[in-house]
Amino acid sequence: MPRPSFYQEEYYPSPMRHTWTDFQRNHIALAGLWCLLFFIVAAFLGPFLVPYGPLQQNTDMLLLAPAWNVNGDISHLFGTDSLGRDILSRIIHGCRITLGTSVILVLIAMLVGCSIGAYAGISRGLRASVINHLLDAIMAIPTLLIAIIIVAILGTGLLNSMWAITLALIPQFIHQTRDLVRREFQKEYIVAARLDGASNHRLLVKDILPNMVEVLVVQATMALSVAILDISALGFLNLGAQSPSPELGTMLSEALDTAYAAPWSVALPGAAIFLMVLSINLVGDGLRTALKNRLLQ
Amino acid sequence: MLIAIARRLNLLIITLFILCLASYVLAFLFPGDALTNLSGIPALSADQSHQLQLMYALNEGWFSGFWTYLKLTLNGDWGVSLNSQTPIFEDILKLLPASLELSLYAMVISLVVGLPLGVLAGLKHRSYTDMSILSVSLTGFSFPVFWLSLLLILIFSLQLGYLPMSGRISLLFDIPHSTGFILVDILRSEMPVKDAALFDALRHLVLPTLSLSIVTTALVIRLIRRSVVTVYASDFIKAAYTKGLSHSQVFWRHGMKNALLPIMPQLAMQFTVLLTNAMIVEVIFSWPGIGEWLIQAIYQRDFPAIRGGMLAVSAVVVTFTISVELLVRILYPLNKRQFYAQT
Repeated sequence: MPRPSFYQEEYYPSPMRHTWTDFQRNHIALAGLWCLLFFIVAAFLGPFLVPYGPLQQNTDMLLLAPAWNVNGDISHLFGTDSLGRDILSRIIHGCRITLGTSVILVLIAMLVGCSIGAYAGISRGLRASVINHLLDAIMAIPTLLIAIIIVAILGTGLLNSMWAITLALIPQFIHQTRDLVRREFQKEYIVAARLDGASNHRLLVKDILPNMVEVLVVQATMALSVAILDISALGFLNLGAQSPSPELGTMLSEALDTAYAAPWSVALPGAAIFLMVLSINLVGDGLRTALKNRLLQ
Repeated sequence: MLIAIARRLNLLIITLFILCLASYVLAFLFPGDALTNLSGIPALSADQSHQLQLMYALNEGWFSGFWTYLKLTLNGDWGVSLNSQTPIFEDILKLLPASLELSLYAMVISLVVGLPLGVLAGLKHRSYTDMSILSVSLTGFSFPVFWLSLLLILIFSLQLGYLPMSGRISLLFDIPHSTGFILVDILRSEMPVKDAALFDALRHLVLPTLSLSIVTTALVIRLIRRSVVTVYASDFIKAAYTKGLSHSQVFWRHGMKNALLPIMPQLAMQFTVLLTNAMIVEVIFSWPGIGEWLIQAIYQRDFPAIRGGMLAVSAVVVTFTISVELLVRILYPLNKRQFYAQT
């Protein structure tokens, strides 16, 4: 006997899928995603593809203009800098350093920040109020300033600047997670689960975390763009990665000496940072809009 | 009301206290001798070192040591810089206005530009106007501020030669230092060539202010747009329209008030972002402000100066943020619950 199937005709996408469909509708965000994927692929595979090493000097070709210039040479697509190093190779290696370190430190900051934030979210009374007040005070200070102070204590260097930015990023994750956990804890499905005898830990891991993941991803993209800007800013100020390293900010500050003779050696690494941050911001914005649309339904 | 003010003041004092404590602890964390880091005087003889130890009460335990340090800090005795041997507090007082001036003008520009654009984008939500303003602002805050200022220098100073590329004013003019705000100083001075000096100072201001304000404008636009969209989607706006109010009445009486006041603290936060960006911009434009000084201090490992600069900048930031919050609380009673920490 054929059963009537009311429900089979309608397709209920999973939340993740729903967000993705909504995200796809935003073409600019999609373009940002492709651009970001390009950078990630370049960071992973680029170093094996480029013909020159990041530190390899070619003294016959100092300050060569990019290939599209009249004085350019196709063997160096983006031209060379004052030591005859190929700028394209350096930018690709630089993407690896800048993007890679930023991703790592955002992940660490997210892990630590979310744990502390979850703890702050479920704790009550004096402990919570101490954490709140401390957070408000720290949140008021911009990340770059905190990073500069920490670098001043630890000393310069890429690793130290990574620590500094990680520490500086943690407060916003704590803040976000704490607010989320607190809001979720008042909802009825949590009360129901609690009546079933679920412990705080179980509630956090099994019920709240799945609901938080997407918001945290959006927050992470924002943090990632801040991290890239900060790490290259520290590199630019000679507080982060040190000189021969092809970190994008460091490259920029190195190119300053020849900025008048070779404007491309300033323009191109900066453009790489700009495009990277722009694509991340586009993806983050698209995700945020998609998420908002889904939650509104 | 009084309770709210007391709470904010309490927070302010506690935060400043923590900052002082942090800066005291920093003197011991920094490499080198703690006494040198506190005073800035490299200990020459045992006698001098003993005298300094007495001054900072280091041998009487950490508590009275910190108490003495706090008293010295409040009195304006922040030690001397390791390199130049000038008192740090006076240096900071001289340099801070330059940074504040730059950030202030940038803030004013970003509010003047960002406010109408943000409101426009919010009102025309999901139209082409909204999309274009949003994409412009998204581009704007993706700019690394150092790259942006370098590009501006490359284009306007080096290629076109319209504007000067560094400093506050041409060395030809000798401006007496009174307030530290250069435009105010010029206007107050008794110079024969006041107009020329003013024009020159303005020309020096253009590029740093522009490169600072582009990023902040973008952030301001986004903040305001989101707030306007949320307010216009709420029920009381619908109710106001149903009541028969015209667009402009709804806009001025209900829309703007509710959209702008709650985000005032967030707008104030932008000032702190601005101050940090100003540090980078100062280095690029050789603007004699606190950021440039602090970064030079880090290069030269001048620890007393780093300690003082950090304390000054974060104190300014925290004081500014908290006073704006308090101001909003006075203007906007709906925030009451948040201030009593009820959620």
